[in-house]
Amino acid sequence: MQGCNRSQKIAICTVGLPARGKTYISRKLNRYFNWLGYKSRVFINGNYRREICGTECNSQFFDPHNETAQKARSDCAKMALQDLIQFLKNGGDVGILDGTNITRERRLQIESDLKQSFNGIQTLWIESICNDSKVIQNNIRLTKINNPDYCNVNSDEATIDFLNRIKMYEQIYETITDDENLSYIKTINVGADIIVHQVYGFLLSKIVSFIMNLHTYPRPIYLSRHGESQYNVDDRVGGDSDLSELGEMYADKLADFFFKEFPTKETKNEIIFFTSTMRRAIHTSDVVASKLDIQPLQLKTLDEINVGICDGMTYTEIAQKFPSDFQERKINKLGYRYPRGESYLDLISRIEPVIFEIERSRQPVMIIAHQAILRCLYAYFHQNEIPEVPTLDIPLHCVIKLTPAAYFCDEKRVLINPQTGEISIKEEYVQEFVRSKSKQKSFIDL
Amino acid sequence: MQQYKKTQYKLILVLVGLPARGKTHISYKLNRYLNWIGYKSEIFSIKGAQQNNDGFDQKIDYELEIDPANQQFVEVRQQLSQIAAQQLVQFLQNDGDIALYNGLTSTKADRQKLKSLFKETLKLEYQTFWVESICDDPQVILNNFNESKLSRFQDKTIESFTNHINVLAKDYQSLENIENLSYIKLINIGKLVKVHMLEGYLCSKIVSFLLNLHANNRQIYLVRSCQTEYHLLDKIGGDPELSATGRQHSQQLGDYFIEELKGNKNITFFSSQMKRGIQTAEIVGEKLGIKALKTKNLDEIDYGICDGLTVKEIAAKYPKQIKERKANPLEFKYPRGESFLDVIHRVEPIIYEIERSREPVLIIAHVAVLKCLYAYYHCNQISEIPNIDIPINCVIKLVPIPYHCLESRVIIK
Repeated sequence: MQGCNRSQKIAICTVGLPARGKTYISRKLNRYFNWLGYKSRVFINGNYRREICGTECNSQFFDPHNETAQKARSDCAKMALQDLIQFLKNGGDVGILDGTNITRERRLQIESDLKQSFNGIQTLWIESICNDSKVIQNNIRLTKINNPDYCNVNSDEATIDFLNRIKMYEQIYETITDDENLSYIKTINVGADIIVHQVYGFLLSKIVSFIMNLHTYPRPIYLSRHGESQYNVDDRVGGDSDLSELGEMYADKLADFFFKEFPTKETKNEIIFFTSTMRRAIHTSDVVASKLDIQPLQLKTLDEINVGICDGMTYTEIAQKFPSDFQERKINKLGYRYPRGESYLDLISRIEPVIFEIERSRQPVMIIAHQAILRCLYAYFHQNEIPEVPTLDIPLHCVIKLTPAAYFCDEKRVLINPQTGEISIKEEYVQEFVRSKSKQKSFIDL
Repeated sequence: MQQYKKTQYKLILVLVGLPARGKTHISYKLNRYLNWIGYKSEIFSIKGAQQNNDGFDQKIDYELEIDPANQQFVEVRQQLSQIAAQQLVQFLQNDGDIALYNGLTSTKADRQKLKSLFKETLKLEYQTFWVESICDDPQVILNNFNESKLSRFQDKTIESFTNHINVLAKDYQSLENIENLSYIKLINIGKLVKVHMLEGYLCSKIVSFLLNLHANNRQIYLVRSCQTEYHLLDKIGGDPELSATGRQHSQQLGDYFIEELKGNKNITFFSSQMKRGIQTAEIVGEKLGIKALKTKNLDEIDYGICDGLTVKEIAAKYPKQIKERKANPLEFKYPRGESFLDVIHRVEPIIYEIERSREPVLIIAHVAVLKCLYAYYHCNQISEIPNIDIPINCVIKLVPIPYHCLESRVIIK
């Protein structure tokens, strides 16, 4: 919701054994806050430790009886916290401390340090508990083996060492108890059980809902614009025009594409299908819906950006009639609000419930909507910086398939020629993306 | 019916908890919320079954008067509980979407029996979600008792009531994971919340809603923005500024709230992002020394192609739309604009904010939007919304209390 109170600082700290999804949760939350317009950053204890103590630390380093190692690790953790506090002091809104924090003593120290640095800071502790060995093994496989800690070790040795590391932590693990008087959320076995203790406040309540809906099912999300509309042909904005001839052809080819993607009746019935309440989207969706024998849900929330008084005009006409507005939009496309209309920031706020819905779904999601709307949705999953949103490339006659992987999203773009039905595919895989990101040296996670 | 999402299955919400734990309060609030967002929802309780059936002694409160030793009482109670469950099944088999059940659910055996009854008799796809309210904070229990029970049962004192509950508590079994039920436990009005096996769109929404509930009886003030020149010209919609009279009235509004709020600066203060809303809120806010949070969610209904026209012009230009609106004022959507149902959906986050707030809430918005907000607190059916009266220069003060909402209106001269 727009206009909510931003004067309060928020610090979120994770708790839990290794391979319990703490980093996953931290990054997801960080993503969510940044997308909503808050200045948010993750501070990872592990990164500080790697930078200062080196990356070739085997499990003995994590032995609680290893005093020199303990001191080094404790110092690294303190640095991470200090950087978080500094970030909040320099205009940050939300600081996320991604660490194990498994002892009462450590938690109470952090809580006290945070409360002393800021008047009225809200702190939230998120403990991730998992005793399902399959989930843990999967987590280790997906994220730890490619971790810099094990770059010179083969994957079997890495797994054994990592399991030993976990055993070290288990020796001193103390789950959060109510008498620590902390605001906390415990998520157990990826949300099968959730415990919420003393969590009050606008943003904190949102976090609870968000976390309750998180899961790790790798379901695909399909985004497509409606087929070419009459207004697209005339280069006009706004309006509620219908599809052009080319647009109708696209709708057919799109239906064919989806028919091939979901071959069986079971897979078809599973699809969560959203569209907007505008004619061009409804007509495109109807063609797909009838071919797959499924029903789309028409959400006004997915209607195209409201261009207010410029509705129905071409860009040339707007430049002539409202030159100062035209200029303003060029300079600040993100924040510029059409008179009696909306801005991209308004859009982001408007489609937030849809983001929740998509996050929550464990089944394939199909969305047929409009350019500005899809720019906002795409940016959330693809983790683009917010200022990029208004210029993201979301062309007509193209299906974007996003498959969320551990920390990022795989992407596949299917460009469909509406006349011939010819398909050309462009794919971007997570692995390349992760490798390029991990080459960058950084303590912090943007 | 244009709902945000129609579910393919029915939902049964079963309430669990000892008396004076807020079960009835929670069921009323949930029922009100679900009806407001467009579902057909109803409560089925022992009390309800008793009231609808002349065969039972209407003077005895079977929900409260439980004496485990009195076999006849126990039997009547079981009977009523069963009748309520049967009526619930009937309701869902017809066109009901969501049913709330407030009957015998205090033991594992009771719950398994209920589960079986639904399984055997409900011939549709359905989901059950269990909502348990637990209190072990004596202050909270005392408050609950004072608020509701005393009025329901005049000659019970807190002592006799507490003894009564202690007797019942001996046989009470809290929900356990082993029962394999999907549930939420609210402990001491949301201080601690436990959720188990949460699944589905509707249940997620309900959990988010329940997380925000509390027992503070704080005031909610609904006020329209003051007069603009559009009022004088009989035009609807638009984004006009306040007229000189409008600014004057805003000043008087500010004075009224100075007295009413008695220096409390911690209030939750919202306004729309329309010029008249912002200006009214700025003038009032300056008097109170607080700033309103401006949100587009409170903007007036979008009149689409009718925006900026006078009532006469609309009647002349769009007679077909006028007819359509008369026939179905709730669902009528202005072409290229919104319907009341769209406004309800748009304003839902504000309801969450109001519910969450434990301090007084002041909202400055516009006619259609305020009708929707008002309906959440006061109407049993959203079809009443188009007929709600929200006059200008009038402060509507709502104070939600258990099972009701007190209302008073003050015209600012």
